[in-house]
Amino acid sequence: MKKYTFIIIALFAFFINPYLTKAQPTTKEASVKVTGEVTLPLDLKLADLQQFKQVEITRKDRDGKDHTYSGVILSEILLKAGVTLGKDLRGENLTKFVQVTASDGYQVVFALAELDKDFTDRMIILADKVDGNPLLPADGPFRIIVQDEKKPARCIKQVTGIKVQFAK
Amino acid sequence: MKINRYNIVFTRHKGFVILVLLALITCLSGWSYINDGIETGPYELVYPANFGNRINVPADNPTTKQGVYLGRLLFYEKKLSANNTLSCASCHQQDKAFTDGKALSEGVDHVLTTRNSMSLANLLWARKFFWDGRAGSLEDQAVTPMTNPHEMGQSLEISVRKLSNTVIYPALFKLVYGDGTITGDRICKAISQFERTLISCNSKYDQYLKNAYQPTKQELNGMNLFMTGPNPGKDIRGANCAHCHGGPKTYNELFHNNGLDSVPKDAGIEALTGLAADRGRFKVPTLRNIALTAPYMHDGRFKTLGEVVDHYSDHLKESEALSTFLRGESNDIGGKTLHLRPEEKKDIIAFLNMLTDSTFVNDPRFSDPNKTTVQKKLKTSPK
Repeated sequence: MKKYTFIIIALFAFFINPYLTKAQPTTKEASVKVTGEVTLPLDLKLADLQQFKQVEITRKDRDGKDHTYSGVILSEILLKAGVTLGKDLRGENLTKFVQVTASDGYQVVFALAELDKDFTDRMIILADKVDGNPLLPADGPFRIIVQDEKKPARCIKQVTGIKVQFAK
Repeated sequence: MKINRYNIVFTRHKGFVILVLLALITCLSGWSYINDGIETGPYELVYPANFGNRINVPADNPTTKQGVYLGRLLFYEKKLSANNTLSCASCHQQDKAFTDGKALSEGVDHVLTTRNSMSLANLLWARKFFWDGRAGSLEDQAVTPMTNPHEMGQSLEISVRKLSNTVIYPALFKLVYGDGTITGDRICKAISQFERTLISCNSKYDQYLKNAYQPTKQELNGMNLFMTGPNPGKDIRGANCAHCHGGPKTYNELFHNNGLDSVPKDAGIEALTGLAADRGRFKVPTLRNIALTAPYMHDGRFKTLGEVVDHYSDHLKESEALSTFLRGESNDIGGKTLHLRPEEKKDIIAFLNMLTDSTFVNDPRFSDPNKTTVQKKLKTSPK
C-alpha cells in the first residue's frame, strides 16, 4: 500500500512540477542608453539618475494644466558620457545632434547647442517624476521635458535611448 | 540520288554554308538575349518626393537589376520549402497586397503561425521588421520564415543544395554576385533586393496629394476624421488615426499597445525586452492597401475594416500598457473612447479604400515569374 502511495505521489509531483516551476515573466527594469559620439557609454536606471543634481521644470502638458517635472538636466548626463559640450562645443562639434528614441519607436532630435547652458538658459531635462510622483508606465519611467517649448511634441515619453551623432 | 546531290552542293560550298550557319547562330543568340536577357546594373528605386529619402538599404546589399531579378525568382521559389509546396509568395500574395487573407498561415507541417502575415509594401522605408520589430533588416527577417519549422521549414543549407542542383540558379548567382556560389546569405540578400522594389505610390490618396484626384464628399469627410484629433470642447470631431498612420506613406515606424486585450495572450515586444510597458505592444502596420489585407491585427482577429474601426471607436480595453494617446481620446466631453457616429465610421472606411493601389497589386514586375512564362507559352502555342 505504502509503495502505491509513493508511486501516486511521485506521479502527481511529476505532472504538477512544470506548472509550479513554470518561468514567471521576469520584469526587467527600464533604462536609458547613452551612445554614439561619447567617450563613456551609459546605461542609466532610475537609481543612477538620483546621482545627478536634481532640477524642476513647470510646463503645461496636453491636458492644458501646469505640471512640475523633476529630473536631471540632459547636458549633465551628456557631460558624464564625455560629449563635447561647454568649451568643446565649437567647430565641427556644432554639427552634432542628439537623437532621442522612445520604446514605441518615436524619435526626436535636438541640436547639441540647444542643450548647452553656454548657448541657452532654456532647460531640457530627463524627468522621472511629475508633481512629485513617478511617471505613469505609459509615460515613463523617463521622459524628456523641454522648458517653454510651445508644442509638447519633443517632450518624448518612455525614453530608452539617447544617441549623439554627427550630421553628415 | 538526292542525298548525293546535296552532298556535292555541301562539299562545293562548305565554307559558305558554315559561314551562313555561324551567322544564323549569332543572330539567334543575340535575339534570344534581347528576348530573355537579364538587364544588369543599378536598380533605380523610383518614388514620390513626399515619401522622403529616409530609406533603408544596407551598404553591403545595393539594389541591382540582376539582384532584383534573382530575388523575384527566389520569392516565388517553392524549392525553398521543406516539401516544395510553399514559397514566400504563399503567404504574401500580390493580389492581396502581399498578404494571404488568413488570420494565421499554415506551414509545411500544417501547424499555424502565431501571427498574421504582414503586407509587403514600401519596406524600403522600414527599419524594424516583424510584428515585434525584432529584425533590423529585411536580410535578417527573410531567414525566419524560410527556416521556421511551422513556415517554409527548411534550413538554408538544404536550400543552397537544392538550388545548386538546378541549371538556372548557379548562373544567376554568378551574374549577381560575380561567382556561382550559392549561400544562405546571398539568398536572403537577393530576396531583400526584390522586396525593396515593392513600392506602392499610386493609390487614389497619392493621386489626391498630387492634385490628380478629387475625392468624393464621403472620402473627404473620412480623410478629415482620419487626420484630426477629437476636441469636444471646441466641437471638433475626429478619429486621430493619423497620430500613428499619418504622412504620405500612411506609415510611421511605431509600436503600440492598441487596447485589444486587458491581458494579452501574446505578450508582443514584452517577450523580447521583459519590460511591462511593452506588454501587448506590436508594430503599427502600414495602411497602404488596407482594404485588401483582411483579416486585421497581429492575430487576424478582425475580419473587416468595420470591426477595426468599431474597436478603436468603442471597444478599447484598458491596461497598464495601453498607449497614452488612446486614453481618454473621445468625441464626447469626459468620454473614454472615440464614440464615432455610424456615418462617420463609413466615411473613414471610404477614405481607407482610397489607400488601395491597384497599380501596385497588378504590377507585372512583382508578379509570379513562372506564371508569366506559362502565360507567354499559352499565348504563343497553336490552338
